Amino acid sequence: MIRKILFVVGALCVSGCAAREVTPTAMSQPGDDALGCDALQQQIAANEKAEAQYRREDKQVENGNVAKGVGSAIPFAGPLIAGSTDLSNEEQVKARALADRNQQLTYLSKQKGCTK
Amino acid sequence: MNSTTIAAVAKLAVAMALLAGALSACATGADPNAMTLQAAATPATKPFPQPLVHAMCVRAVTGGEKTNPLWVSKVDDDGFKTALSTSLDGAGLSASGGTACAYPIDVNLLGLSQPSLGFDMTVTSHVNYKVYDSSGAPFVLATIDAPYTATVSDAFLGVERLKKANEGSIRASIGQFFDKLRDSTPK
Repeated sequence: MIRKILFVVGALCVSGCAAREVTPTAMSQPGDDALGCDALQQQIAANEKAEAQYRREDKQVENGNVAKGVGSAIPFAGPLIAGSTDLSNEEQVKARALADRNQQLTYLSKQKGCTK
Repeated sequence: MNSTTIAAVAKLAVAMALLAGALSACATGADPNAMTLQAAATPATKPFPQPLVHAMCVRAVTGGEKTNPLWVSKVDDDGFKTALSTSLDGAGLSASGGTACAYPIDVNLLGLSQPSLGFDMTVTSHVNYKVYDSSGAPFVLATIDAPYTATVSDAFLGVERLKKANEGSIRASIGQFFDKLRDSTPK
């Protein structure tokens, strides 16, 4: 039994609890210069909505990590709980990337003289 | 509970305590020197555009986090700024000695994607670099994802290994940013 538990913990350590792959939205994208005022406005609005959603999810992950941090002090189960902590920062990265993307879209919008 | 079981449970407790100790020593923040791109270590395949030479500076770094010793190693704004500024110095890009900073750089550290456990630890930094020209218009906007893996041979303790992975990832990120600068065409 003990060997089995040690094997599971050992396997966990060897494989590593890798972070999820995160791909943030690029600030500048091909074709940006060709976007018209309506398209820019639509993208900005969609990005704002998605950013707000990611920020909410990020808060939930953060709260979950705090609980797991406390749980990691539990004898025996602690390392397994610690291993389930989500340090990928996926939601934070995506939210911040969208905020920067919108900064660029707003700049382009001003350059084009869009009214909004 | 017989004595064999008690002995086995005690052994398991010791093993778990050793494992926990190995994985969770006090965390320290990333070292700016270790995040700095050494000019000698990266032989330039292509020179930087002439207008950028001695004309750049780091204006602002945001998004970094201070390290909580009870949690995991992070990269803070000041450390990143020092590392990038020193890297610019080494590459001959820093505006210094009375030269004006014609190309300020703003950096937004979007975040670090870190593993929670593991022998080989891969950290990916996600960074937005914004370089502005003399008219204030953005001329390089680079979103860079840079992974770096630290192994047990780099550091035995998990917290130290994670710190090394953070540092390597930022170093790689600065290297990729410099490649973008080499390919840029400043006005």
